[in-house]
Amino acid sequence: MKLQDTKEVQTEFKPKILAFCCNWCAYAGADLAGVSRFQMPTDVRVIRVMCSGRVPPELIIRALANGLDGVMILGCHPGECHYSEGNYLTRRRSHVLKRLLMYIGIEPERFQLRWVSAAEAAKFTAVVKEITDKITALGPNRWVDKR
Amino acid sequence: MAKKSVLVIGGGIAGIQSSLDLANMGFQVYLVEKTPSIGGRMSQLDKTFPTNDCSMCILAPKMIEASRHPNIRLLTYSEVEEVAGDSGKFKVKIRKKARFVDEEKCTGCGTCMQKCPYKTDSEFEAGLAKRKAAYIPFPQAVPNVATIDPDICIYIKSEGKKCGACMKFCDAGAIDFSQQDRIIEVEVGSIILATGFDLFDPSVLEEYGYGKIKNVITAMQYERMISASGPTGGQLQRPSDGKTPKKLAFIQCVGSRDTHYKLYCSSVCCMHATKEAILANEHYPDLEAFIFYTDMRAVGKRFQEYIARAEQQYKVTYIRSRPSKVTEDQDTGNPILWYEETTSRTRTSMEVDMVVLCQAMIPSGSIKDISCMMHLSLNDYQFVHIPDRLFHPVDTEIPGLFACGFCQAPQDIPDSVVQASAAAARAAEFVSKDE
Amino acid sequence: MITPRIGVFVCNCGTNIGGTVDVPQVVEYAKNLPYVAHAESNLYTCSEEGISSIKHGIKEYDLNRVVVASCTPRTHQPLFRNACADAGLNPYLFEFVNIREHCSWIHRQNPGEATEKAKELVKMGVAKARWLDAQEEFKSEVYPTAMIIGGGVAGMSAALNLANQGFEVHLVEKEPELGGRLLKLNRIFPINQDPSELVGNIVKSVEGHSKIRLHMPAVVKSASGYIGNFDISVDEGGKEVSFKVGVIIVATGAQVLKPELYRYGELANVLTQLDLEQRLKDGELEEFKNVVMINCVGARIPERPYCSRVCCMTAIKNAALMKEINPQAKVYVLYRDLMTYGVEFEEYYREVKEAGVRFIRYTPSNLPQVMGAERVESVRIYDELMDMELELPCDLLVLATPLIANDDNEELSKMLKVPIGDGGFFLEAHIKLRPVEFPMDGIYVSGSCRWPADIRESIAQGYAAASEAVIPLRQGLVKVEAITATVDPKICKGCGTCVLVCPFDAIELKESEIRGLEGKIVSEVNTALCKGCGLCAAACPNGAIQQRGFTDTQLISMVNALSGKR
Repeated sequence: MKLQDTKEVQTEFKPKILAFCCNWCAYAGADLAGVSRFQMPTDVRVIRVMCSGRVPPELIIRALANGLDGVMILGCHPGECHYSEGNYLTRRRSHVLKRLLMYIGIEPERFQLRWVSAAEAAKFTAVVKEITDKITALGPNRWVDKR
Repeated sequence: MAKKSVLVIGGGIAGIQSSLDLANMGFQVYLVEKTPSIGGRMSQLDKTFPTNDCSMCILAPKMIEASRHPNIRLLTYSEVEEVAGDSGKFKVKIRKKARFVDEEKCTGCGTCMQKCPYKTDSEFEAGLAKRKAAYIPFPQAVPNVATIDPDICIYIKSEGKKCGACMKFCDAGAIDFSQQDRIIEVEVGSIILATGFDLFDPSVLEEYGYGKIKNVITAMQYERMISASGPTGGQLQRPSDGKTPKKLAFIQCVGSRDTHYKLYCSSVCCMHATKEAILANEHYPDLEAFIFYTDMRAVGKRFQEYIARAEQQYKVTYIRSRPSKVTEDQDTGNPILWYEETTSRTRTSMEVDMVVLCQAMIPSGSIKDISCMMHLSLNDYQFVHIPDRLFHPVDTEIPGLFACGFCQAPQDIPDSVVQASAAAARAAEFVSKDE
Repeated sequence: MITPRIGVFVCNCGTNIGGTVDVPQVVEYAKNLPYVAHAESNLYTCSEEGISSIKHGIKEYDLNRVVVASCTPRTHQPLFRNACADAGLNPYLFEFVNIREHCSWIHRQNPGEATEKAKELVKMGVAKARWLDAQEEFKSEVYPTAMIIGGGVAGMSAALNLANQGFEVHLVEKEPELGGRLLKLNRIFPINQDPSELVGNIVKSVEGHSKIRLHMPAVVKSASGYIGNFDISVDEGGKEVSFKVGVIIVATGAQVLKPELYRYGELANVLTQLDLEQRLKDGELEEFKNVVMINCVGARIPERPYCSRVCCMTAIKNAALMKEINPQAKVYVLYRDLMTYGVEFEEYYREVKEAGVRFIRYTPSNLPQVMGAERVESVRIYDELMDMELELPCDLLVLATPLIANDDNEELSKMLKVPIGDGGFFLEAHIKLRPVEFPMDGIYVSGSCRWPADIRESIAQGYAAASEAVIPLRQGLVKVEAITATVDPKICKGCGTCVLVCPFDAIELKESEIRGLEGKIVSEVNTALCKGCGLCAAACPNGAIQQRGFTDTQLISMVNALSGKR
């Protein structure tokens, strides 16, 4: 299990990061960040789902296998899921997914799970900044080239 | 059409709930709100007890639903001016105040707010921050359109000679200084009062130093401070020097259960103080909070467990006492509480970094005008009089007129929502009587 | 499949988008995306002009899919969907791309990068739009009747309200008379009146109402179905009665705890507050000179941490009554916290104090002690406010015990498939904003079966439940947004994972009746109950169950559009 050399970072590297946001919490939090004009890095692309529990692990693997540098799921805080249990499923799947990513040789840090509520515009902004920095530091996703 | 319409006065959570219920039942609803946006007190809160749900997160979808519902006509920045006619055929005149902004054209982009040079205290931020003359009260306002305050707008006060910055910069051409107040007349079969509450001004209790001691604030100001979308971005920064407090004191029953001011119990302060103390510790794990109480009124679902968690997990200490006074250490700005702890009968003092006064809640001032208009009785404390409180809990003495929420009794959000739905049921029953 | 012809409408939103994102560039870019038949920009797509452009574009360019790139679907999706519908295009052939809140507003210093991001977001939206299918919203008729379980004041208030609005109501009561717990009370607070006449009036109205069908004494034996269509079977004195209803209200009340504390059951002059009410009602209370009442007996303890809300007022009411009956009597109320919230209760408490009832505070670490051999003779209590050990002479000890869940709550919860929460009480959909609804549509709850409530609160809840229940009854139809789950029975293996994962019990395993698949065990979604979360779709091992509007194909197309397909 050889992990990628994380020191190899290109100075001009701009990652491509996907964020699945649940309609009721994270997407609304992202909207509020926009309304509040919080500025943040431009590397994240949002896909809206009704519940974070909709995101199947295979889709995350596909995204990373296709060469996206980072994928995140943003959902409601545990206990606040609009569908009562969806985010618990997301949480459980994420634990297993991280192990699987390690097993097949993708840095597990390329996949992140965070909880952002509809009022947490500042948190959304902080999460985007934090994960963009993390993924940038990891460097480009070269897993596809190893196959 | 009189039979099938209902007027709801007050756009807080109770008014919104009644309106949605009636609209979903198929009735035409006129929802009148005197401030520029619906949402009421709940929009000012950070989190709600006992779940610590984010208040705006659960409120905003209902606000949006109310604004989009085909059966609800939203009349914000409006007040009821006259009610005539008999029960079942109320003829109502509503004054829609001039916003000087065309609601159809305004997109809520906020440019006018940015460019406006004139400020005043923000009502929404409980005086902790300023707002402009051209303003949207808070980011999730519904409707999301600007309003221009004629009391501080220089263009209006100078009759068009000065400023006008908003007009210059508005891309949508939505600024319209020629706008006049409009009187809208409707005929409705039933009216629901949901005018909510105002906050008792604790500066009359001079012994607590509110208004003199900088680091003595009200609970509503605290809510705005700890709110992620508030003036300090959710950071607790005490007013005198911006320091983060390490020791916080809450004084309960400020103005409530008081023979000098309000004899009644405001019912929700024990719980909201506990919530505020928990939130403080969540933000700052070293922070200790002390709640000075007389009876800990935690009667609702999961309320007792909430108190227990506060004590066990969040460094909250409950002291049975009503402090006699608060003084100030001139050098540090630290407030000092002087009190007798009743359970140990010791007289002592405690120096803290900030004091939060849990002030009484009083029925909103608008209910007085409405009661005059409709010859409606209010009790000694200006709560709406409910003749048969037990068996007809939302019926006023006037047939077809119902009252729900804080305007008729101190109560928390779930109880207000229940009463709002109950009022909707009664209004529906009343209005469909002759079908 | 008809070739997709996608129309892309990019909004400037005045300068909100156009001031940062190069909208013309995005439009040009969109024109070259697969299946895009037309692309244009608007100043304000949500304005009348913008909406007209969409409608015009659909007709002029024969569009069968529409993508709008502007603000947020959370506010504007219904507007644009309606615009499509008005132009004759199925509203679910519409996709929204957010390039304002998620792009122009948050990257103001980076117009170049913001433009690139906007292009990619549009590319993703177009990719998904290509895979959108026309959808019909599920509509189900609502049977215009209600069933109310429980004939106490909450249930009766709800019944009268619904019946007065013209709906048939089946009221099911297990006792042989209506009125519930109130029938047992001697006096009610804070009006200090005998409830019999007041309750009697309501009972008369209910019994005389032409629209209320009373089943009494009767218990519900089975309930199946879903909102608008419940099949109910009731055991009415040995006879089975079946009927259909559209909505159900649960108002079964609670019972009073009989404690195993303070020698209750052992000594003759130890009563609960309810026992006291009965004795007073029946005129069977012995003479007394020294009354001691203890509050929070069996409540606010580790096994039962909640406060039962109504007991403080009950104790105070009865304490005042004791004083009335025997003005010379000494009456003490031993309490922990006095829950006399609000206006009237606080006033009542003050008046009772002025009438001479004495209140002594105790803590759980210093419980009162009951002294006496055959009967209670005195109660020892440490009064911490006075720092004194007191021995109160006592010839009548009254314990305020909490309301606890009825024994049949569990059975009822299984029958109706509704949840039970703390203390065995029924669990509402949302404790703040949906206090009288169950998470499952069409079933509502009110009164003490959900949480201890006094008369005023129970009746308000009864009305509130009626308000929620009457909505589907009045609408006559239940409509569900077409983002629910669907199963392809050809692929489904009947593993049942989706059934386990669904939080709303909306999926069932059934024998298929489709030609060619007869007898195959496959999942079936009850669209009326499906809330469109998509958990099933993510859990399904082979993609047999999909969420409309968020299918695997659609999501994959968006991922591929962003990453490039490998």
